[in-house]
Amino acid sequence: MKVSVQAVAVWGKIAPSHSVTAIMITDDQQTIVTGSQEGQICLWDLSSELKISSKEILFGHTASVTCLAKAREFEKQPYVVSATENGEMCVWNVTSGQCIENAKLPYRHTAIYYYHCSFRMTGEGWLLCCGEYQDVLIIDAKTLGVLHTLSSSQYSDWINCMCIVHSVRIQEDSLVAVSVTGVLKVWDLSSSLNSIQERQSVCEKESKSLDCINCQAVRFCTYTERLLLVVSSTCWQVYDYCDFSLLCTEFCKSGQCFAGGEVLAAYRLIIWTEDGHSYIYQLLNRWAQMGNSHKKFSGLSKSIYPADGKVLKETVYPHLLCFTGVKENKSFPFVMGFMNERKEPFYKVLFSGEASGRITLWHVPDVPVSTFDGSPKEIPITATWTLQDNFDEHHSMSEGIIDHLCASKDGIKSAVVSSSVYIPSLDKLVCGCENGKIFVTLGLKTARARLLENVSLLKDYLPYKVLNGHSSRVTCLLYPHDKSVRFDPSWLLSGGQDSVVICWDIFTGSIIHQFDLQSGPVTELLRFPENYRLKDHSIVCCVCSDHSVAILHLQKRVCLLHARKHLFPVKKIKFDPVENLLIVGCEDESVYIWEIETGTLERHETGETAKVILTSIEDSEYLVADALLPVSQESKRNKNAGYKHSSSYKHGMVSYSLTHTEKSSDKLTDTSCIQQPFTILPVKTKWNNANFHILLFDVEKLEELLLSSQLSGLKSSNSFHNSDTLERVKSTTEKRVLTLKRNKIAGSISPVDGQVDTVCSNQVCRDKNAARPLEESGGMKRHKKMKSSRKIRMQPSGNIDVTVTSDTAKLLLSCLLPWGVDKEIDNLCVRHLDILRLQCPVSFGLVSSENHLSLMLPGWKCTDCGVLEERAVINLFSKRVIDLSNKYLAAAEGQTGEKDGPENNDYGTKGLETVFFLFSRIALINRIINIPSAVTGKSRYYSMDFGSVSLLKLICCWSDQSIKIIEAMQAVLLAEVQMAMNTLRKTTICSDPLAIVENGNGKLQTLPKTEERDLQYIKNVSLLFSALKHDKSSNSANFQDVEDTPDRCVLEESESPGERHLKTITKYQVP
Amino acid sequence: EEEFKWLLQEEVHAVLKQLQDILKEASQRFALPAGGSAGAVKQQNFALSTSGTDQVKGVLTLQGDALCQADVNLKMPRNNQLLHFAFREDKQWKLQQIQDARNHVNQAIYLLMNRDVSYQFKTGSEVLKLMDAVMLQLSRARNRLTTPATLTLPEIASSGLTKMFTPALPPDILVNFYINLNKLCLTVYQLHVLQPSTTKNFKPAGGSILHNPGAMFEFGNQRYEVSHVHKVECVIPWLNDALVFFTVSLQLCQQLKDKISVFSSYWNYRPY
Repeated sequence: MKVSVQAVAVWGKIAPSHSVTAIMITDDQQTIVTGSQEGQICLWDLSSELKISSKEILFGHTASVTCLAKAREFEKQPYVVSATENGEMCVWNVTSGQCIENAKLPYRHTAIYYYHCSFRMTGEGWLLCCGEYQDVLIIDAKTLGVLHTLSSSQYSDWINCMCIVHSVRIQEDSLVAVSVTGVLKVWDLSSSLNSIQERQSVCEKESKSLDCINCQAVRFCTYTERLLLVVSSTCWQVYDYCDFSLLCTEFCKSGQCFAGGEVLAAYRLIIWTEDGHSYIYQLLNRWAQMGNSHKKFSGLSKSIYPADGKVLKETVYPHLLCFTGVKENKSFPFVMGFMNERKEPFYKVLFSGEASGRITLWHVPDVPVSTFDGSPKEIPITATWTLQDNFDEHHSMSEGIIDHLCASKDGIKSAVVSSSVYIPSLDKLVCGCENGKIFVTLGLKTARARLLENVSLLKDYLPYKVLNGHSSRVTCLLYPHDKSVRFDPSWLLSGGQDSVVICWDIFTGSIIHQFDLQSGPVTELLRFPENYRLKDHSIVCCVCSDHSVAILHLQKRVCLLHARKHLFPVKKIKFDPVENLLIVGCEDESVYIWEIETGTLERHETGETAKVILTSIEDSEYLVADALLPVSQESKRNKNAGYKHSSSYKHGMVSYSLTHTEKSSDKLTDTSCIQQPFTILPVKTKWNNANFHILLFDVEKLEELLLSSQLSGLKSSNSFHNSDTLERVKSTTEKRVLTLKRNKIAGSISPVDGQVDTVCSNQVCRDKNAARPLEESGGMKRHKKMKSSRKIRMQPSGNIDVTVTSDTAKLLLSCLLPWGVDKEIDNLCVRHLDILRLQCPVSFGLVSSENHLSLMLPGWKCTDCGVLEERAVINLFSKRVIDLSNKYLAAAEGQTGEKDGPENNDYGTKGLETVFFLFSRIALINRIINIPSAVTGKSRYYSMDFGSVSLLKLICCWSDQSIKIIEAMQAVLLAEVQMAMNTLRKTTICSDPLAIVENGNGKLQTLPKTEERDLQYIKNVSLLFSALKHDKSSNSANFQDVEDTPDRCVLEESESPGERHLKTITKYQVP
Repeated sequence: EEEFKWLLQEEVHAVLKQLQDILKEASQRFALPAGGSAGAVKQQNFALSTSGTDQVKGVLTLQGDALCQADVNLKMPRNNQLLHFAFREDKQWKLQQIQDARNHVNQAIYLLMNRDVSYQFKTGSEVLKLMDAVMLQLSRARNRLTTPATLTLPEIASSGLTKMFTPALPPDILVNFYINLNKLCLTVYQLHVLQPSTTKNFKPAGGSILHNPGAMFEFGNQRYEVSHVHKVECVIPWLNDALVFFTVSLQLCQQLKDKISVFSSYWNYRPY
């Protein structure tokens, strides 16, 4: 598992749908955790004023979440366990979003309780689980392995609900559970600890059949230690815990179903219903009532009575005190919970989550009272929130990846992306939109334009193409060349809701062919297996929403077969190359076998035979090659498809989903070392069509690439003329030159190399944009050539990499830097390191072990550092970061004081070098925090690298303090940049007088200063390139740079003579 | 638009009603002891037989989801000795598969009951979600019946089933009951002890529904090999009905889903 991947999410305008199926509030009342039908878990910030805002979304589950529970003593470790419909279990750290442990068991849980008995138990405690299996499972909270079961001697059945009873009176913890048939069972917990640890069978202590079915909740009243509340869907009942005698029953109103309940206080209950209402009842004592007609505190008077069962019996009846409701009776099922905390600053909170994704909170007063006339009082809603609210509030953060394109184009409201695919080999991002348009853009450029500030240039010149052809939503996209070479590299396939599949030429944007299927929206486009008998034929499989499967022959432009008989959604498509058969497995586990040649249905099988057919084919196919096409309908590409998986999270059905997505994308970064340390991962969510993208940065890879590019840069510039590679570059750049003739600087940039590129990247960006059409056609040519000779292709791609990697590195650094903390730092970064300011805060992601991913949601920062200072601080992950970076700075200075910082002097010398240096730091931190164990072994190596053991130690202890990796990275980056700036300042002070003398203008002091600094970079660059021409080019690039920064006087700038630069340059060049 | 409204308001409820009826019918087949009062559940006798040989014969009595009586006659192939054993009076064996299937069906019914005629569906996705939930329960119910648990031999040996017979089962015999589709199956394994000195290399068998002769396992510090396997089965008619009901209702659900998604494809904007 690759841990060095950094993910940045680019959300769309529409929030991913989140139908809440489980909800809980953590013990510290700071986080609400919700699980959804789509399989994601959402973390919400709950402020002390009970304001809700979404924080993070956790990916990893492939099926609907059934329950959530805490998994540790919360004060020690903020862990929460989640379980899903298909048996997955996951332990999450809810402060960092990391996945701590995951497992897949063949059990579906409906409720989990954490149980820990500190003085008698070893380990981290147990998770007591019940669900669609007999009796109660005990699962180890740490390893998620099944420890034991609590079995029952008779009437063993599924357990519907349970609760743990801590009774001080009898000094015994027990588990009370009610089965589906309404049998109440009690297991001893504390006294059977030993037998559980020794794996002896543990049977229930008591078992009693209650007269209720569909029991929803059972609760023990800890205040009286006497009452047991049992809530079933039709009524709630109170039992005496001593002898399980029924004390009172209250039926629900017609049309409502009780869903749960909790004991508020002694003799006070709260019951809630499935449609989001809740009722607070006071259990009144009839005898006390007689004496005191309206006595609320019957609980008090009760305690005077001798608490024996006879008195209790028939003396208790419920009285409705308060109720809560939702404003408009929304028709969604609700999941509710109640948090009972009495001590300050905690609240009694009733919370609910809806299928629409809305979360509602009610603050229940400590002493709920009815209105004066005795009628029940309504408790108002305290807070309510949805994901979409957050997306609307933080508008700029939730802008889609290509929204700015659409907006700039024709002013209409931007189209929602309904499907997208990223082509790594061409760095192209293809987005299909709701309105039928398809946008083709460059991945990295688009990402930069979306994320960075002051790149209006980038935006304007961002080359893109619009393919018009579909009349309605584009539902799926496929770039078949990605994985198998037999497809033409120019082919791009798109399927639409209009039931049309179009084959495009991606380079020219023209339609090659249009297949009209007439069978409902196209849901899926799939590549055919490699070892198809007619090998050179390019065949694509297409699944439509009427469950039909079409086989399209791209070269012949015909539809070979359209299999239409399937009654259920298609789950698997397999292919028998020997018989030339198409085997379609449906969701109801039936199998259809089609003959491809004739297009006839050969067989239809169900049940066992179907299963056998599917598995047997699998075997035979595996023998041949990886030819089978194991398509789950939900996961958009199959396993071998490799690069990109757009995945949809679908409830219920087993799908590969994100697991595969992540796996493959990580594999991608692992294996495809030459190509891309940067990829865009399109993610599709189920119920609504909102798509978003995740940018993945492989830090390690980037570091490696930067290093190699630096080396090669040096090498190639030394052997400038005899290097084949460079000649190639020259030719391409010369092409650019042609297009840039009208541009003044055109002549000077001809021998632009990666190094220069990065110094004057603003300009190069322009170049590139201008040169784009040419390059594209060139790219196509290249691909044509590639077929004949591969070598040629590799080289140019290697060269392009230089700029791409440095651009990528800078983009990541921009994303990481806390902008606005220190103006000077910002300016420095923008001007010298060419790390551009962010447009808005960035949603980072955390890839934790085993394909689990957490992504920040728009608005994550608002609670954390809203009022730091008056300056607008963007993208600071938490207040802690500044403290951390100060600590780091202190440690580093104490250390470099001795060494007199020879290292430090290096910082300021080269722009790219600095970028590289910063980057390597990040990579290092990434490594350290992710693999803390390895650090101790390798510490020598690291300390060499790091320059200081103390720094290393500091960072190590950060990782112990559960400081988020992202915080650590930001802190170190901030500190390093500060240091770099300090050294820079030193050098500029030396050269300052000179500059002032030359300029003589106090106002423009900053200008020469910075120019001096610029010149230092140029110096280095020019040392590398001995030709003076290059300096000119980079100088002019500087001008460009300066022009772009707003706080500059442009006039002065343009007047400043080039001679000066030349002078200084030549001066520097002498050594 | 109008048609979609009609679909949501009328057609959906009609289908749901139909589904409920079918499922209630199915659930009745499971002869659920109503509200825990397990008194009047009728008992059914099933005779197990194999075609051809008559080495194993048995009469099983099924009461709801539990086997309450079992009479098994086993003719030992070697010495033609006739073994007879039956359940102890006080014991009955729960068929987990039936219980699970029944519970799944009841869950599905419960889901449907929550949305009775008075309930107004407002969006299509609501219906789709409900259908997905129902279909999930139904397919699970069906899967429980169609796919028996795969057990390893030590698991069979250690299950409570072996202790339920009178006279007690000889140590070289294992029995297992399960449901496969509509059939109630009984497998009897005859074992022989592997001597520790045997030259045969020991390879424990994995989990399986039906183990073949020659499968080996270790249990209680003793190594065994399966020498003979006898499988007898009989059809339980009401299980067959239930399975048919499941299939029909699954199809109904899917049709309803398809109907709703047809509308969504006509409207290009987001209808849900």
